Amino acid sequence: MNLSIIDWLIMLVYFVFVLGIGFALKRYMRTSNDFFLAGRSIPAWVCGLAFISANLGAQEVIGMGASGAKYGIITSHFYWIGAIPAMVFVGIFMMPFYYGSKARSVPEYLRMRFDEKTRAVNAFTFAIMTVLSSGISMYAMALLIQTLGLLHGVIPDAYIFHVSVFLSAIIVLGYIFLGGLTSAIYNEVLQFFLIVAGFAPLVWIGLRNVGGWQGIKRTLPATMTHSWRGMAHASTNTLGVEWVGLAMGLGFVLSFGYWCTDFLVIQRAMAADSEVSARRVPLIAAIPKMFFPFLVILPGLIAVTVTSHMAGAGQGTPAVQNESVILSGAQRAEPKDLHFNAAAPSTAPLPLDEQHPHGIIPEKTNPVTGQPVLDSRGNPVYNYDLAIPVMLLHFFPTGILGLGLTALLASFMSGMAGNVTAFNTVWTYDIYQAYINKRGTDAHYLWMGRMATIGGVALSVAAAYLVTNFNNIMDALQLVFSIVNAPLFATFLLGMFWKRTTGHGAFTGLIAGTGAALLHHGLTLPADATPGIHGGWIAIVHHYPSDMAQNFWTAIFAFTVNLLVTMAVSLATTPRPEAELVGLVYSLTPRPIENHLSWYQKPATLGLVVLAMLIVLNLVFA
Amino acid sequence: MGLDIRIPLGLIFLLIGGLMSIYGFITRHTADIYEKSMGINLNFTWGLLMFLFGAVMYIVGRRQKWQDDPVNPRPWEQGNRPRH
Repeated sequence: MNLSIIDWLIMLVYFVFVLGIGFALKRYMRTSNDFFLAGRSIPAWVCGLAFISANLGAQEVIGMGASGAKYGIITSHFYWIGAIPAMVFVGIFMMPFYYGSKARSVPEYLRMRFDEKTRAVNAFTFAIMTVLSSGISMYAMALLIQTLGLLHGVIPDAYIFHVSVFLSAIIVLGYIFLGGLTSAIYNEVLQFFLIVAGFAPLVWIGLRNVGGWQGIKRTLPATMTHSWRGMAHASTNTLGVEWVGLAMGLGFVLSFGYWCTDFLVIQRAMAADSEVSARRVPLIAAIPKMFFPFLVILPGLIAVTVTSHMAGAGQGTPAVQNESVILSGAQRAEPKDLHFNAAAPSTAPLPLDEQHPHGIIPEKTNPVTGQPVLDSRGNPVYNYDLAIPVMLLHFFPTGILGLGLTALLASFMSGMAGNVTAFNTVWTYDIYQAYINKRGTDAHYLWMGRMATIGGVALSVAAAYLVTNFNNIMDALQLVFSIVNAPLFATFLLGMFWKRTTGHGAFTGLIAGTGAALLHHGLTLPADATPGIHGGWIAIVHHYPSDMAQNFWTAIFAFTVNLLVTMAVSLATTPRPEAELVGLVYSLTPRPIENHLSWYQKPATLGLVVLAMLIVLNLVFA
Repeated sequence: MGLDIRIPLGLIFLLIGGLMSIYGFITRHTADIYEKSMGINLNFTWGLLMFLFGAVMYIVGRRQKWQDDPVNPRPWEQGNRPRH
């Protein structure tokens, strides 16, 4: 790829600003409170944008673009069902406890509400997961830079991966080391606007090219352009999940487990300047969040529409995906929707994965040999992860291409930085101060936070190389994340809304829930997968139609087991006196005072507006 | 915090938007650059829009004059001061 001086200049401006913000904020970092909690002084809208930006990392942008290209607009469920309701819930109901309890982190809330051991489990698993996800982000970024040939000709090809990893590590380290959480939040706001500025013209020009949304609808199968069609049964939609699994697994357990308990996002809300602001943070974040499918999923859909529309795809070999997910949906799609494949050399109707359009998505090549990757039937495999990057290269002339690439890099960095700030806080407050040095001065903990930043970034680099060296580690990590996160929400839900819940109950429930997730995973297998990392390593008692269905049901199972075990053990153990739980449990905490707010300023009003918009969006794209 | 985010945000959009629109203006007759974007000079139009957005952010940020706030006392040290 040939970039001109103007593209480099734009990227350079961005990197100068990123570090410049760190330097500008350095003088305000005087206490650990400034460094880890941004002095609890950030306005709600700034925290709100940081709240979604921290989540909008590499996996999100690349992964959602890829899913958009593979499954269609149905991917937006990950935003509409899988985020918005949980964000409204955490803002209205849970934030008063996180913010009001004066806890400095989510694990610390668990210690205040339950006990030391529950906090320890959460703090250690969380710290490990943040470092690993930051490493994955770093790996994905370096791999993308290598695949696109961004630095081709600037430095020798063999070093591109290493240079990308270390350069991104140093930049993220630099601005967090200097400005702590404030610096991360400010940069996330910058990243948010750059991502919008970089992707909005891409979507606009892409839509113009394919004849708008109507053009996409005419070209792609109906299952790809409707988000609710065929959800009644797993075999009639592209995700391979029926609506119960979707609503309970993704919409309830997984999304509430992430948005309501993950310190990575909650930390942004905890930095707000007042409790009302903290409650508004996730609600403000929900508004742009619900429109993000148009920025990150739509480019994927456009990418598979482009040549199908212009050059008449279907000529040549049918596309086959090397995926375990069954894409049986379009078998039921009307034949007229499949005209793009009319020229396919086959008389019998092909299964969907062979009829699937691939537009401008490039074939996957082996990074070592440069040979195209073929599946077991000798057909080429398409690299859907490149959907958004190839869109940028396809439509953007030099100049704005620099902006598009900056937006992409910004998203990678925001994901990394979010994890690093969450890690340094949990390490310093919940591990170092709790178990290693209880009596340090505040200046000492501030120093420790800076050291933890260096340590966290160093561990992320190590994790990035770990991912490089072991083929299946990415799947393994996703599996670990889902198993650890699955039962979490039950613990928080009971802790906040049932005063009878005890520390022993929470701890046993959490362990039992994680065990149940493991057990469920070991006993079930998605169709088309071999026993091993994908499940079924104990015995196979049930087959799921897709790995997504398996993932959702694992979460539902883990949540239920955690809920029941926590309740049972709590009833058998002595609860804490009610006086100790004021401010930590819903029924014992006075309602937040909102008399000074007009009706339209109340968080609940904002929450209702968000939910109403969500319903309208779902109806439009049903 | 002493630094209003709208100031760096405004500045980066002023700079990037400015760069893009100038480049777009210079290359407005070079058709082959804009073949990719179907003949639309995205650099000039989108750069100009970004420049305007940056200007608005910068002006609003300056008006709030957060940057003139004394570092001491901090918001949590001084009770109920009006928030910005």
